[in-house]
Amino acid sequence: MAEGAEGRIVQVIGTVVDAEFPPEQLPGIFNALEVDLKGEKLVLEVEQQVGNSWVRCLALGPTEGLARGTTVRDTGAPISVPVGEASLGRLFNVTGEPLDGLGPVDAKERWPIHRVAPAYEEQSMTTEILETGVKAIDLIAPFTKGGKVGAYGGAGVGKTVIIQELIRNIANEHSGYSVFAGVGERSREGNDLWHEMQESGVLGSTALVFGQMNEPPGVRLRIAMTGLTMAEYFRDTMNQDVLLFIDNIYRYILAGMEVSALLGRMPSAVGYQPTLSTEMGDLQERITSTKKGSITSFQAIYVPADDYTDPGVSTTFGHLDAVIALERSIAEQGLFPAVDPLTSSSRILDPNIVGKEHYETARGVQSVLQRYKELQDIIAILGMEELAEEDKVTVGRARRIQRFLSQPFFVAEQFTGREGRYVPTTETVRGFKEILEGKHDHISEQDFYMAGTIDEVVERASTREGAGTSA
Amino acid sequence: MPSVRQIRGRIRSVKNTARVTSAMQLVAASKMRRAQERVTGARPYAVKLREVLSGLVGGSSGDSESLHPLMLKREVRNVLVIEISPDRGLAGGLPGNINRVTGQFLMRTTVPTKVVTVGKKARDFMIRAGRDVHAVFTDMNDRPTLADTLPITHMVQELYMQEEVDEVHLAYTRYVNILVQEPVVIQLLPVDPAEFTSDEGSSDYIYEPDPAVVLNALLPRFLEVQVYQALLESQASEQSARMVAMQNATKSANEMADGLTLELNKARQDAITSELLDLVGGVAALEG
Repeated sequence: MAEGAEGRIVQVIGTVVDAEFPPEQLPGIFNALEVDLKGEKLVLEVEQQVGNSWVRCLALGPTEGLARGTTVRDTGAPISVPVGEASLGRLFNVTGEPLDGLGPVDAKERWPIHRVAPAYEEQSMTTEILETGVKAIDLIAPFTKGGKVGAYGGAGVGKTVIIQELIRNIANEHSGYSVFAGVGERSREGNDLWHEMQESGVLGSTALVFGQMNEPPGVRLRIAMTGLTMAEYFRDTMNQDVLLFIDNIYRYILAGMEVSALLGRMPSAVGYQPTLSTEMGDLQERITSTKKGSITSFQAIYVPADDYTDPGVSTTFGHLDAVIALERSIAEQGLFPAVDPLTSSSRILDPNIVGKEHYETARGVQSVLQRYKELQDIIAILGMEELAEEDKVTVGRARRIQRFLSQPFFVAEQFTGREGRYVPTTETVRGFKEILEGKHDHISEQDFYMAGTIDEVVERASTREGAGTSA
Repeated sequence: MPSVRQIRGRIRSVKNTARVTSAMQLVAASKMRRAQERVTGARPYAVKLREVLSGLVGGSSGDSESLHPLMLKREVRNVLVIEISPDRGLAGGLPGNINRVTGQFLMRTTVPTKVVTVGKKARDFMIRAGRDVHAVFTDMNDRPTLADTLPITHMVQELYMQEEVDEVHLAYTRYVNILVQEPVVIQLLPVDPAEFTSDEGSSDYIYEPDPAVVLNALLPRFLEVQVYQALLESQASEQSARMVAMQNATKSANEMADGLTLELNKARQDAITSELLDLVGGVAALEG
């Protein structure tokens, strides 16, 4: 455990490095080791004690040029990152070094990235609703302050866009601090986010950490913890309500899978690491709200091959309070956000919390859409004409509801060419309730597409009608 | 991704549907042939009757005094519509079309209306629309004779003669060919003398005892034939529409089953691949 103890590298397998230390001076698990690699500092993290005075480490940086015999130095402590107000407005890598070229970070404190989750008695449960301004989310899967939300979806169905819209709608209105962790996603998106936050002025209350696709697996495995540690400091020491955005938590699992075999573990189901649920639990259990402060987290979760039964995906389900499922078949119809109202859910969609009207509207929407889904085979085989009269009405309403669930996003203006809309929850509930009641059965389906409130739909229909009669 | 078993279940149900629809297609095809024969068989009689009537009307003088009561135009205070529809669905757009056309006709009519429905689809539609349904006829014979339609014709004629209604319209589906059936609304009463002004059947005949008596006897017969003919046309239309609809349904059910089979194969192969990967990975880890 001795700080400053020196050892040397004895084996390098890609991103996993073994080092030999004097037997009395073996570094502890999760200690950070430093190597001087052509003038650059490379950090290794101890994962295993393999015997023969060897430790097996994970490189948190590229290992090109690393050779056996190179000297390693034990820092005597885990990786620590700057926390507190000094971290705000800055962009960090996994080891807490600034990436934004604005000089060194003047932090009073540094916290190690490995921490224990809050004890049972410290945890708190709130049921305060957090409005997002996104109709599909507020109606079907309302968020809680201090809760954990996951946005599930396959490749290219709009997870990142949803997370960014949430940042725009919530972080911008939110008075407290936010932390964004970019895990294994496109580096370009990190750059875009950084500039957008500068423009909107929220950067001053946000800390950003990035370990994107171009980084080695060790970085992607630890970057979420770096961001989380910063958020924990705001919660525990400054008693703040913090927003934590993680895009994409599945890359964390994937990084763990990449190093698992190299660390000598036997693969488990579908090739995942045998420690899958432990790794997920270590991270997720720390993202929680305590009596001192709260962390509201938004996580994007990639679903490989649209298979929700994938072990990596299903392990995360249990940790979440609300689940937004993005569905390819909806995205293919051009309906964005592609939220599937039948599989998305929230713990607080309960008449005692959201109110009877909201609850019944949400359930009504789901049952109409469920009926439509059941009828689809009949429609495909026999055609619309064979449906009973009331089923035809149901189908018409379901199609209107599907379109009304779409909404133009502020962050997607350059794709849709439409200005974004923020819809208050009360307006959302009123709109869907009116559709269910059949008040808008006469309005054509396309008027419901990419609209904000129901009033906008009605207005569109009346201008169309006006244009129709004058023409 | 749905599991292999779920897809198997769906394939089974889709294939069962295809089996039912293809059976219905065959039944409809044989019924259609017979209905077609009846329509074409009844036409010469209607044509001849029209010819004879033309001769009679052309021969009689045009003033309103001498017109037959069934030809007399009155001020329209009440209208009656007879709608002929199928009893059963699964006939494509046909029931919906005849209902729609009749519904539109009723909407356009400004005076109070009554309806007489033949067939369950018309009955259900009119009751749902809240119309004044005067009489309901269902389960008409598959091979109707003129006697089967007489109750309808006689009831309507009586209503007209008692001046309870001043105009009677008949909505039915005209049979054009297997692919085309046309919903139409024709005026049944009062009979328009203009219908018989063709120059055929000129008054070369000598009528015994006199033309007026013959006309009196023939006009009610003409009504009967028109209603009967409309029923035959509707039935032929129904069977051919059903045959085409079931043919399409069978086709799309088979296409769906094909698509699902492809999905099933993929899901099956996926499951095998991932099991193999697990085995190979496990063995490799044990050896390494």
